[in-house]
Amino acid sequence: MLREKIEKYLLDVQKPSRYIGGEVGSIIKDKSETDVRVAFCFPDTYDIGMSHLGMKILYSLTNERKNYWCERCFAPSEDFEKIMRENDIPLYALESLDPIKDFDFIGFTMQYELSYTNVLNMLDLAGIPIYSRDRTEELTQIVVAGGPCVCNPEPLADFFDLFILGEGEEVNLELMDLYHQMKQQGASRKDFLREACKIQGIYVPEFYKFSYKPDGTIEKVETTDNAPEVVKKRIIKDFDKVYYPENFVVPFTEIVHDRVSVEVLRGCLRGCRFCQAGFIYRPFREKKAGTVVNQTKCLCENTGYDEVSLASLSTSDHSEISPILSELIEYTAGEKITLSLPSLRVDNFSEELLEKIKKVRKSGLTFAPEASTQRLRDAINKNVTEEEIMNTCRIAFEGGYSAVKLYFMMGLPTETDEDIKGIAELSQRIIDLYYSLENKPKGRGVQISVSCATFVPKPFTPFQFEAQDNREMIEHKQKLLLDSVNRKRVKVSYHDANVSILEAVLAKGDRRLCDVIYTAWKKGCKFDSWGEYFQFDKWAEAFADCNVDISFYANRKIPYDEILPWEHLDYYVSKEFFIRENKKAHEFTTTPHCRLKCTGCGVNKETGGKCFD
Amino acid sequence: MIKLRAVFEKKDRAKYISHLDLNRCMLRTFRRSGLPIWYTEGFHSHPYFSFALALSLGYESSCEILDFNLNEEIPFNEVRDRLNAVMPYGMKIISVAEPKQKITAITKAEYSFSFKSENISGLVADIERLLNNNEILVEKKTKKGIQKVNIKPFIEVVSGNTGAGGYNMSMRLPAGTQTNYNPALFFTALKNFTEIPFEVADIRRTGILCGNNEIFS
Repeated sequence: MLREKIEKYLLDVQKPSRYIGGEVGSIIKDKSETDVRVAFCFPDTYDIGMSHLGMKILYSLTNERKNYWCERCFAPSEDFEKIMRENDIPLYALESLDPIKDFDFIGFTMQYELSYTNVLNMLDLAGIPIYSRDRTEELTQIVVAGGPCVCNPEPLADFFDLFILGEGEEVNLELMDLYHQMKQQGASRKDFLREACKIQGIYVPEFYKFSYKPDGTIEKVETTDNAPEVVKKRIIKDFDKVYYPENFVVPFTEIVHDRVSVEVLRGCLRGCRFCQAGFIYRPFREKKAGTVVNQTKCLCENTGYDEVSLASLSTSDHSEISPILSELIEYTAGEKITLSLPSLRVDNFSEELLEKIKKVRKSGLTFAPEASTQRLRDAINKNVTEEEIMNTCRIAFEGGYSAVKLYFMMGLPTETDEDIKGIAELSQRIIDLYYSLENKPKGRGVQISVSCATFVPKPFTPFQFEAQDNREMIEHKQKLLLDSVNRKRVKVSYHDANVSILEAVLAKGDRRLCDVIYTAWKKGCKFDSWGEYFQFDKWAEAFADCNVDISFYANRKIPYDEILPWEHLDYYVSKEFFIRENKKAHEFTTTPHCRLKCTGCGVNKETGGKCFD
Repeated sequence: MIKLRAVFEKKDRAKYISHLDLNRCMLRTFRRSGLPIWYTEGFHSHPYFSFALALSLGYESSCEILDFNLNEEIPFNEVRDRLNAVMPYGMKIISVAEPKQKITAITKAEYSFSFKSENISGLVADIERLLNNNEILVEKKTKKGIQKVNIKPFIEVVSGNTGAGGYNMSMRLPAGTQTNYNPALFFTALKNFTEIPFEVADIRRTGILCGNNEIFS
């Protein structure tokens, strides 16, 4: 039995409870009574994957169906992977401890580009052929993926049987129902894929053939097997009523986000031009205050967690944020539960809101101005003024905070050296503000942490057409920033330029990248998002071996009329809108957020009617 | 405030919960049970629990001791049942009662384990030779660094017999607030002593004892 083999080595590895399941809230079924078995795979370690909210939702949702069994699977850490390979332990699911290669669905959630090699490594550990074309003709072992990265799934197209576009709460079950039905009829894998692609939201890459022009750009995409020419993503119309779990799997070992998470809204009404999440999750939908409060109470009671966090892209944009917080604070204070509120915005951070959150947290505050000058903030449509930033800092300092964390990006379209120096100048103005306040915290100096990410152009954003700065430019700007800041009061952190470059290529790449990813993995690349594992030299070799040019994908400005690798996928926001927004960026003109004025992005054509009452 | 002592079991998949994680796990179990757990007073108020002895990762036990306080009096069996209803798989409260002895009364713990080897008779002979030595020296990590200790005077062999699965032993070793000797020290000593390859399986703590071998309660 596999279990005995696993247990034999478990005490030789770090944090063994990650590999044996049995957590409170994990769901065990009798496999003789289940018809469809699903391995929900997160292509990173347990500690990271277990923090992912989407997995918690879809795990519980699938298991609500008596005859379907969804189990969890993560990438093993290096120590356990070595043991697994040496002792022929195939990748297994944590509930049954059965090998996932025998499951009906092996589903991955693609949350970040740098997890792509982990998918290949996990398939290999499982004993599943890595390329979909090498899998059996039989109807079993369907390898699927969803999550934000599959809005451009082309770099992964050769490895997956199908992709699920958009929100999974409805389409996942429709797909499993179809599978269950066709399995009983004795259908083949191909029969199933032909039927599956008729479900809205299902993209079967093998039915789409790309041809390229001599200059390397896409000439056309042709479909086969009667697959739809354009695949539309799925959304949940009534978000307040959408399924939400009443229980989470509660891990024994500490994970990254070890708490109850309650999703308060989906989508974003802001339209920051660099932000993929801001567009691919549209339309903006809220849960009612009562729903949020009830779900919080229910999950806290069932899991026993003493910490809860509200999850969304911009929590303070909820129209009922004030009543939600009042009710939640009353509950959490009484039950000795910590409430945390990520994703607050600078411009609606009121004194009233601060009064509320002061009661619940003592640590530092984090804001994201993204760019230092008004011109650049207007180009990216951040819609935040310096006055608002300063006002927020003043409220925070007067409220007793003395540490502020600021997120910026560098390499944004239209950016100059002045914008980089501006980050140092803005930090200095915040320091000066702190010392000018009479009621600043007593006896403490101010501390500013500047975290500066490198801009990565992403599909389905107005900046999808933009080129990324090349390595020399990125490194020049990073050095300029370091040289400009007041080192005593400002701590600067930024990413390795190579990481951002690879992200850009994988985000905007086409099908020709599949072999690059395979080659890089063969050369030993995995856990690319972990600094200590990232090997850019191996990636560079892989690109060279496959004759693929990094700069073609990362550093080339794309003309508006070029066919994009994701053009046959419809995320409801139109290309015309992105072009319009891109032009406005270069004119430094802002677009107001959706509540103030409809921007005509195209979403409401699909959802029928208005996004707001 | 009502002081209570629970005896609990930790086995199966739950034996891989580390001691640090067990604290968090108990806190969440109490919260799920809805029992009125007593919180410490002071600036960082937290629920009060105390484990009499830490149990090594991978060891099973049916005699672990957990002390905690409740704000109101609730029948012992009800406390037990409410906790068991929300316990992780592999963990179970066996009994809840008023604490009788002080934690400092603990002096020994009893363990059972099973040696597996291709050459079990040779291994048993070596175990006997080792136990007949005047000294069994083994390196032990202490707060002062690694020290050589002689565990021989402290080993009390309760039983040893060859069964279907291998050679099964039961042994008592010092435990408590003063000296704690883990049976792993004996395994290491044996590994250094014998040429015969072996593995130890089914390590289980079978008793937490006071000076006169009375079961701690």
